[in-house]
This record gives sequence, structure tokens and C-alpha cells, in this order.
Amino acid sequence: MFLQILISGFVLGCVYGLIALGYSLIYKSSGLMNFVQGDVLTLGAFLGYTFFSLLKLPYLVSLILTVLVAFLFGMAMEHFVIGKLLKKNVLAIYVVLATIAVQYILQNSIQGIWSTKMLSYPQIFSVSSIKIAGVSIQTESVFCIFMSFLCMAGLQIFMKHTRFGTAMRASAMDAKAAQACGINTSLSTGISWGIAAGMAALAGILLGPIYGVFIMLGSTIGRKGFAGAIMGGYGNLIGAIVGGILLGVTETFVAGYLSSTYKDMIAYALLLLFLFVKPTGIFNERAISE
Amino acid sequence: MLLEIDNLCLSFGGLKATNDVTMHMEGGKINGIIGPNGAGKTTFFNQISGVYKPDSGTIKFDGKRIDGLKPYQINEAGIARTYQVINLFKKMTVMENVMVGMHPRLKSGFFASTLHTKKQREEEKTIREKAMDLLRFVGLEDYANEQAGSLSYGQQRLLEIVRGLASDPKLILLDEPAAGMNSTEKVELNYLLHRILDRGVTILIVEHDMKLMMGVCDRIFVLNYGKKLAEGTPEEVQKNPEVIAAYLGGDET
Amino acid sequence: MNLRKNLSVKNIVILAVLLLLPVLLTAVGFSYGILVCCFSFLYIIAVSGLDVDFGYCGQISMGHAAFFAIGAYGSVMLHTYCHLPVLLTMIIATLLATVIGAIIAYPASKLVFHFLSLATIAFGEIVYSLILNSPGGITNNAVGMFTDPINLFGFSLDTNTKFYYFGLVAVALFLIAKQLMIHSKVGRAWIAIRENPHAANGMGINVTKYKVMAFAVSAFYTGFAGAMYAHLVGYIGPDTFTQKQSVMFVTMMLFGGTGSLLGPILGAVTVFVMTECLRVFEQYQMLIYGALLLIVIVAFPGGIYGEGKKLIARLTKRKGGVKNAAGN
Repeated sequence: MFLQILISGFVLGCVYGLIALGYSLIYKSSGLMNFVQGDVLTLGAFLGYTFFSLLKLPYLVSLILTVLVAFLFGMAMEHFVIGKLLKKNVLAIYVVLATIAVQYILQNSIQGIWSTKMLSYPQIFSVSSIKIAGVSIQTESVFCIFMSFLCMAGLQIFMKHTRFGTAMRASAMDAKAAQACGINTSLSTGISWGIAAGMAALAGILLGPIYGVFIMLGSTIGRKGFAGAIMGGYGNLIGAIVGGILLGVTETFVAGYLSSTYKDMIAYALLLLFLFVKPTGIFNERAISE
Repeated sequence: MLLEIDNLCLSFGGLKATNDVTMHMEGGKINGIIGPNGAGKTTFFNQISGVYKPDSGTIKFDGKRIDGLKPYQINEAGIARTYQVINLFKKMTVMENVMVGMHPRLKSGFFASTLHTKKQREEEKTIREKAMDLLRFVGLEDYANEQAGSLSYGQQRLLEIVRGLASDPKLILLDEPAAGMNSTEKVELNYLLHRILDRGVTILIVEHDMKLMMGVCDRIFVLNYGKKLAEGTPEEVQKNPEVIAAYLGGDET
Repeated sequence: MNLRKNLSVKNIVILAVLLLLPVLLTAVGFSYGILVCCFSFLYIIAVSGLDVDFGYCGQISMGHAAFFAIGAYGSVMLHTYCHLPVLLTMIIATLLATVIGAIIAYPASKLVFHFLSLATIAFGEIVYSLILNSPGGITNNAVGMFTDPINLFGFSLDTNTKFYYFGLVAVALFLIAKQLMIHSKVGRAWIAIRENPHAANGMGINVTKYKVMAFAVSAFYTGFAGAMYAHLVGYIGPDTFTQKQSVMFVTMMLFGGTGSLLGPILGAVTVFVMTECLRVFEQYQMLIYGALLLIVIVAFPGGIYGEGKKLIARLTKRKGGVKNAAGN
């Protein structure tokens, strides 16, 4: 029982982590908030379902295609909506509202393209469960945790050890100085929105086989993901993962041992608690202050 | 003594921005603080006005401790200020800017303000007249209903000063009021400072313009690397070898 | 407020039209229009309140559906369980919303824009899930609650026309109060905080206190609007009080134009009528709504009122005129 709850807490936590990572990345690169992440997760789950179940592509190929489409979506959104607004020098609230508008459009489009019914993935792996310490765990769950960690580690390496990652960090710190050094800041901002969307879609295609695929799959996760990002320290990439996992595990344990009624409230209560008491989060990220 | 600052210290991550500074200032005078760039003058100002909290030391104003109070409490206590970078309420009218300056002296509460009680209306009428008087004091009366952001640079500087005077302070802190002014405006400023003093408001001024400072100040304090280097009359300070060395060594022109 | 000054011909005509509108609408056989007006009234109150908070004091809230809910559920529950008369329950519930608003605003006032929006979203979600999973099921959870119309000392507002006049008076009172507040020391302090919080603090304004005040006032407005909603519809369920409702309030405010008297009125009416019309496209309602929202954001960042004012200014080419930050 304990181990099973822990594993499902980790699955959910990894998903929150991927979403929160996207939030922090976008905040670092452009100082903005993006409310579309959750619905990109839904999009990812539906795309994955289409590639894998309808077009009968191999799972890994479906996964890569899904992430790629979402990456392009993220970049396009930054380029055609956010970038345009920033050029007009509008109030921050308009940018926030624009991402909410895109969220509505995306949600409704997904509903129009696919269906309002719950869909489920066919079995992905030939082995349906793995036994760990005498407890059988769904293979998809193990895969979800494995892939998430792979992706998070990959992003860290990308940001720290590649030329492109350095350029992105530089333009996040001081866009003007970075530009003076010959870095294409608008490209690096676009790519960070792309990566954020890609990670959200990855979370979707990993979560889809476990939770099933439906319209509202991502929107709640997207909103709760903010709690993960805040808990870790908004803008801190490692903090986002730690905060996300902590949130997922806490939520699952509360639902498992105390009551599932107030499960949804935990994330928001933690979000408020951290914002009011320790806004810099566990990793003491200063990005949040004025 | 109107303002007594004793052993004031403040550091930012190892950098001692204010290092054991003691300054005593008399009322009814124009006091000046000078020092090379990065001497910590604005940081020092920000501790008096409550923007920064000092690490140690005391600030006494009119016999009462004010260190550690919030900026609005310090304003209520009778210290007004202007800013190095113009910090007006740009979309409010010139008149409204001055009226905001009077805020801490108004007695009407939330409900009186919402209901526009008779007392509240009388108070508003009085402060409107008072605000107009203040605008006349610096010659901005014709711009009373213009947006503050539409004034010229020099006029905005003047508005900053009247907005500060609006709260009837005993002491006003002027942070580089002459910045960006031409020489005619500087002469007018010199005259204005004496007229402010005549209203019974003590002045503490931070300024780069040496000529202006030597001409206008009764007493000058010199800061260098967060420490007080010297104090005295303009003549005394000008002769002080340490001060001369500090200015020649720095990049001050 | 000078009474004689306000009694111009234009104002008398507007007043007459507003008073006769239900009769006119019934005469042309469009009595549904009266209901639309009733809804518009309560949205005008809610959005005007939000405008005090954001348009004047500069604090965003993406969770005002929570105060709408507290007003609605508070009033209905007090009426159902304590059997108090409806008007009294509305007032108590509104005060409750105000107090809760002040409590949440105190720690929230320190947060900068993005994090204030997150905090208010989280607060909205907490209130929503409390309604959906209430302790002991006192809110009837997902089922919702039925309730009675407003009772004015024995006179029941059981038709839309009767509610219309009540709503009209309420709107007038709330808007007058808003104008009086804005044109006083309090309003000046709010605008100063919006324009430059550091300078406001330096000028002797207790920034935290005035921010909390603005938030509480806006909770008062939205709470009362929520109570009006409950007794107009006669039924409340959790679906009305989701995040989407909060976004709707913000949309109405920005669409109309912030920091003005007319902006929230124009915004509330236009957006409400627009969403009513979009009901025809049931399946694609959100898609169209999102697209419209995006177009408005990109094309008219000043809202109807702001862009209209700019247009008039361009046409009359700076023909003097006094610009006033408090708006009119």
C-alpha cells in the first residue's frame, strides 16, 4: 500500500515537475507567466493517442512526434502572440490574459478535433506490471518516472553545458547585454517557450496511458503545477522538479491516508502558504522579489 | 539638535555602504552632504527616510527615535523628501500631486471620505487652496490642472519639492535637486532653498554641484566610502586636505 | 456632487430611458431583455468593484469569483438555515466577503503582479472546492441550492421587472459611492499607489493599509453582486463560481477600460451580451470567446472607453480640456 501510493505520488509529482519546469523556464527567459501549459499537456495526451493508437506508430516515435509538435506550438505562440504583445509594450495583465485566451481556444479546439469522451491508450509494453519489493507496479508508471527524470536531467545538461543553454541563461539575466554579445535573444526566448510546451506534452503522453485521455486532463494539473514551481522557488529549475515531486507525493498521501475530498485543496493551500510565508521557496530563488 | 544620527552602519553583503557615521544637524539651517560617486550618499538618505533599515546605530529626529520606522511613518513624523530620479505620480494632475503630499495631515477617515461629509468637504476645500498657495510659491500655479508627466524637466523637479513641502515637514531631504538643471535654473534653486528655509523648514541636501553647495550650505558633511570624512562650514571643508585628496583621487569632475 | 449640475437635459433623458426601459422592452415583446439588464446591473457592480482594486489601486485579482461566491452562498445559506429576510442576508454576506477580502489582502499586498494573480487564483480555487466539497454538505455540494427572491420589507421582487428597479437603484448607489471614494483622499492615495508605490510610501501613505482597503472595497462590491445573482436566478451551483468567472470579470473590466466610471459599465454590458449571443454556438463558445478576447487584447489594449477617449482626443485635437487622473 505505502509503496504503491509512493509510486503513484511520484508519477503525479513528475508530471507536476515537468509542468513547473516549464513555468520556471519561461519566467527565467521572459519574466512572464503562461497559463497554457496544462492544456498543452492535454494536447500531448491526445496527439500521442492519435499517433500511437490510431496511426499505429511505435510508442517512442509517437512520443517524439508529440513533443516536436508541442515544441513548435510553443514557439509559434511566443512568436505570434506573446512577442507581438510585448512589442506593443502592454501591461503585464494583457499578456497573462492572452495566454488564458489561447488556453480557451486550445481547449475548445481539442474538444472539436477529438471528442468529449474519455479515451484510453492500448497497452504499450508487453509486460503490464513490474514487481518491486513484492508490490506490482504498472509498467507505464515506471516508464513515466524514468522518462521524466531523463528529461529533467537532459534539460539541466542542456542549460549548463551547451553553448545554446549558456546563451539562453545569459539573455535571461540581461537581455540587452546578451544582445550586445551577439546572442539572438528573441530566438532563445522562443525556444524556451518551445521547450516548456514540449515538456508539458511529454507529461501528457506519459500520463495519458495511466489516467486516460480527456479534455480536462491538463487544466487542473496546469494550475496546480504553479504550486510546485512556487514551492521550489519560482524560476529555479531544480526547485521546480523538487517542488513538483513534493507536491505530487504530498497530495497522493493525503488522498490515500486522510481524505480524498480535500485533495484538490492541498495544492492551492500550499501555494498560498509559500507565497505568504516563504515566497522564495525551498531553494530561496530571488527571482520572485521586485 | 533637530536630527541626531549616531554610529549609523549598513552593509550590503560585505560592502559597508554606511560605516559608523555620526552627524548632528541643527534646525533652521541648510545642511549639505557631498562626496565622490559611490560615497554612499543616497544610501544614507534612504536610511533617514526609512527606505533601508540601518544595521546598527540610531537616528533621532526632534528627540524621538525614528530608525527602523517605515517611510510613511517617517513622513508623518515630519521628514519629507524628494528623489534623485523624478518620482512623480505622472498621470495625476500637478494639483493632485501636491494634495497627495498633504495626505498624512488630513483627518477624514474612509467613511467620511466616501460619504463626503461636511467636514470632509471643508477639509478638501482648505487643502485645495493650500495646494494652490504652494504651487504659487514655486510658480507652477498655471499648470495646476496639467498632468504632472507633461511638465518640463525643471518644472517636475520643482513639483517634487512642493509635493514634499505639502506635508508641512520640519525637515526636507533633497536628493540631487539640481541634477539636469541649467545654470539659470540653478540660481533660482539657490534662491528657492532660502525661501524654503524662511518658511521654517530645515533642509538637508545631497548634490554634486560643488559651486551650488559651497554657496548655499551653512554646514557641509563629507562622505567617502561610507565613512564621514569631514564636517564644517564650506570654507573649512574646502581647506581640509583629506577632502581634497578624496576628490582628486576619485573620478569626480 | 452638485445636484443642479447633474440635472442636465442629457442626464434627464438617460434617466427617463432607464426608468421606462422595462415597459418599452415588454411593449416590443422582448421581455427577455429585462433579464439581460438585471444581469448587466449585477455585473456592473462586480466589475466596478474590481476596477477600484485594479484600475485605481493597481492590484490584480484573478480570483474575484470567490467573493461573488461568498456573497451568493452566504446570503442563500443564511436565508435557508437561519431564516433571516433576504435583504438582511445579502448585507451580512456582503460584509463577510469584505472581511475575508481584507484578511486575504493583508499578506497578498506584498506580492508583485504575477504572484498576486497566482495567490488570488489559489484563493478562488480553495473557495470553489470548499463549495463543491463542503463540510457536512451545507452547500449541497454539486447539487447546488434553491432560494427565494429578494424581499423588501414584505414586498417580494418576484418578477424580473421588479428586480430591474432594485438593480437600477443598487447600481446607482454603488457607482455614486465609487465616484465619491475616488474623488477624495482615499482615491488619491489609491491612484498614487498605482502610479508609484515607493513614492506614495514616501509621501506618508500607508501603502499596505490602502491596498487592503481597495481589495476589501472590491470584495464588498463583488460580494453584493454575488448575492444579487443568487436571488435573481433563484438557484446557485458551484459551476457559476469557477476560475472562468474570475477571468470573465477581468475581461469585462479590461474590455471596457480601467480606472474610469464608464469603462466597467461598458465592459460588463458588452461582454455579458456578447456571451449571451455566443450561446447559440454552444459547442464553440469558448473558442469564439477566446478568439475575441485575443483580438481585443491585441487591437484595443485601452478597452472601449480608453480607445474611444483616444479617438475623440485625436478628432478634437487637444482642444484644451482638463485631464484628471481620477477619470470621470
